[in-house]
Amino acid sequence: MKIETISRHFREAYRGIMKNSWMSFAAMGTVAVTLLIFGVFLIFAFNINYLTKELDKQLAVRASLQDNMPPAKQTEILNKIKQNPLVKNADLVPKDKGLEEMKQSWGDANFIDGLKSGDQNPLPDIIRIEPSDPKKVKELETQAKAIEGVVAADSGGGVTQTLLGFSGVVRNVILIFGVALSVLAAFLISNTIKLTIIARRKEIEVMRLVGASNWFIRWPFFIEGAFIGMTGAILPIGILLILYQAFFNTINSGAAYTVIQMMPVSALGAYLAVSTFILGALIGISGSLLSVRKFLKI
Amino acid sequence: MIEMHDVWKVYPNGIEALRGIDVKVDQGEFVYIVGPSGAGKSSFIKLMYREEKPTHGVVLINGVNVKRVRDWKIPYVRRRIGVVFQDYKLLPHLSAYENVAFAMEAVETPKREMKPRVQEVLELVGLGDRMKALPSQLSGGEQQRVSIARAIVNNPTFIIADEPTGNLDPENSWDIMYLLEEINARGTTVVMATHNKEIVNTMRQRVIAIEQGVIVRDELEGEYGYED
Repeated sequence: MKIETISRHFREAYRGIMKNSWMSFAAMGTVAVTLLIFGVFLIFAFNINYLTKELDKQLAVRASLQDNMPPAKQTEILNKIKQNPLVKNADLVPKDKGLEEMKQSWGDANFIDGLKSGDQNPLPDIIRIEPSDPKKVKELETQAKAIEGVVAADSGGGVTQTLLGFSGVVRNVILIFGVALSVLAAFLISNTIKLTIIARRKEIEVMRLVGASNWFIRWPFFIEGAFIGMTGAILPIGILLILYQAFFNTINSGAAYTVIQMMPVSALGAYLAVSTFILGALIGISGSLLSVRKFLKI
Repeated sequence: MIEMHDVWKVYPNGIEALRGIDVKVDQGEFVYIVGPSGAGKSSFIKLMYREEKPTHGVVLINGVNVKRVRDWKIPYVRRRIGVVFQDYKLLPHLSAYENVAFAMEAVETPKREMKPRVQEVLELVGLGDRMKALPSQLSGGEQQRVSIARAIVNNPTFIIADEPTGNLDPENSWDIMYLLEEINARGTTVVMATHNKEIVNTMRQRVIAIEQGVIVRDELEGEYGYED
């Protein structure tokens, strides 16, 4: 397509938008609301994906050892565990080191100190076992439990599963709302385009008669729809990123223990902006397509 | 060249507008299509610029079977045809120049080629000094001239005119006829549906008369043949 023709299509699309400015504005608003909801879904989806990967990376079986076990016996158990093919790595975490790690991750040393009864450290000595395959962590947990001198073994996998299950339900609810609103937005855009088609029916008739190609006639309407969709995407991207940044800061600051691993804003921003823009354009183009197919007789 | 072989046009409501039409119009001819109202003239004309498809039979436009040609190729068939209507079909917000240039823009002619060609055809139709005027500032005759300029600007091989003088007074009608005659003299085929007895009888060109969907007369240097 020639540059002259492309610029002509953009000019005509702009004319169409300005001619029905209020209708276009309403369509952009609907797209914005739709994409705001869709954006929340996307944030959930991206974060669940991120969380799953992070949890997989951090997944480890914590095998608690009997109290007052001699260091030689502890080393013997550690070596035995290391020989297991399901084990990627294993190391001994004495109770004092365990307490220090806990203080660091909770970020509130006084609270942890308060857990101590006098000078007694309530934590057991543990062996932290990283699985070679995160899917086989339960099997590894069972095998670790069976070792003499290990009083308990836990991977925390149940918590992860519950968290992922809950997130999945929330994600589906948001998705259903998002899809329903997308259809609504596409219909509204379709109506806007329909008005442009009606307003320009004489031009379309003349174009047909003089032999304008079908795509020459259609292009401005597709550009108009895509423009409405993409313009409608700008506001929700901004709002979602600002809110996400604020939420991210709250979760990752203060004394709270970071149970939820959130995706960093820098990484999420690009994914969210690109996905939302594409979604906006798709909603817009779908709306145009509906009208062009129904009302544009070429 | 336009050829029709055993062409039928039956509308969904069952009306048989054309019944078994066989006709051939050669390059450079000037042909009048006459007949009473409702005889099938409009359907005949519409088949020629592929506004309608034949229900049965073959319509060849410059050798292309319009019934078989794919939809996306139709515009390229239409580029070889110029159409002129009784109601001009000009775009009211565009000047005479822009209305003609619109036809060139629609077929993606480079801008640098547009200006000299649009000026040339507007001068040919006698509107060299009215290029900037909007249709509302032009008389009926002048509007029809713009419409003819638009029809010829892309160098079609033939012009189809559906009652081009229908809305004009006798003086303007004759001006339009002289213009079409001049365009025909330059080698462009002209097919014109008309109810104007005086024009047909004076110009003495080929006349095809249609009645009840059938060609009842096809005469070289023919006459109108009806009272109205």
